Amino acid sequence: MMSKPASTDPRVLRLRITSDPANLAPVRREMEAFCIACGFDEIARGDIILCINEALANITRHAYDGATDRPVHLEARFEEGVLRVTIRDWGCGKVPVERLPARDPLDPGGVGMVCLRELMDDVTFTRQPDGMLLTMERRL
Amino acid sequence: MTPRSDPISATRQEGDALLLSIRGEIDLHNSPELRTELLDLLNRTRARRLVLDLAQVPYMDSSALAVLVEALKKLLKIGGKVCLVALQPRVKGLLEIARLASIFTICKDEQEALLK
Repeated sequence: MMSKPASTDPRVLRLRITSDPANLAPVRREMEAFCIACGFDEIARGDIILCINEALANITRHAYDGATDRPVHLEARFEEGVLRVTIRDWGCGKVPVERLPARDPLDPGGVGMVCLRELMDDVTFTRQPDGMLLTMERRL
Repeated sequence: MTPRSDPISATRQEGDALLLSIRGEIDLHNSPELRTELLDLLNRTRARRLVLDLAQVPYMDSSALAVLVEALKKLLKIGGKVCLVALQPRVKGLLEIARLASIFTICKDEQEALLK
């Protein structure tokens, strides 16, 4: 399930989804269109969309332990040449563990976090009393 | 719900090589299905080389990558390999960031993959 609350500001996109992986592709479609409107090129769009996908997949797998019916709120805001994406979940509230750069390539666990750290300009996990708020920024 | 279609669109075998065409975006939604089908095919055919045509895969996430790595590890144990053919830019980018571009054999087409 995915809903898109109306926004009068074209620089803001809000999506309300469940933690069902079936929502990943529709979210990618929405973010692709939003990033095109912001002026991001093909390479940057690929980076941003990969990071959002990995963040959402991590929420389903880890924060919600595989549950597919839990809420996830995503907001993308583009201001002064910076895209800021916030993703809120109401899961376990654990900050994902980041693998060391010298990890074994044949152990693909942790690739999602590597993507976030390497492809976004800033990534912050802020623990909430009832879950987690992830903020990612990417400059145009 | 996003309609789910079979991620493996074509299969054939040439000698000890199993050639599969994958299609569509592969993410956490459909990567479990890809894993089941791929491992089942490897078990049934006893192939030593796996050639995956990814020309019709514009996007792949880390869960899909984990499936490819599992297949690779399985084949490495018997001296085999996995060749990835016709990588699209976003898939190539993911392989590079995951430091996997040099672990798989990357080929431009199936012909090249069969010669390696």
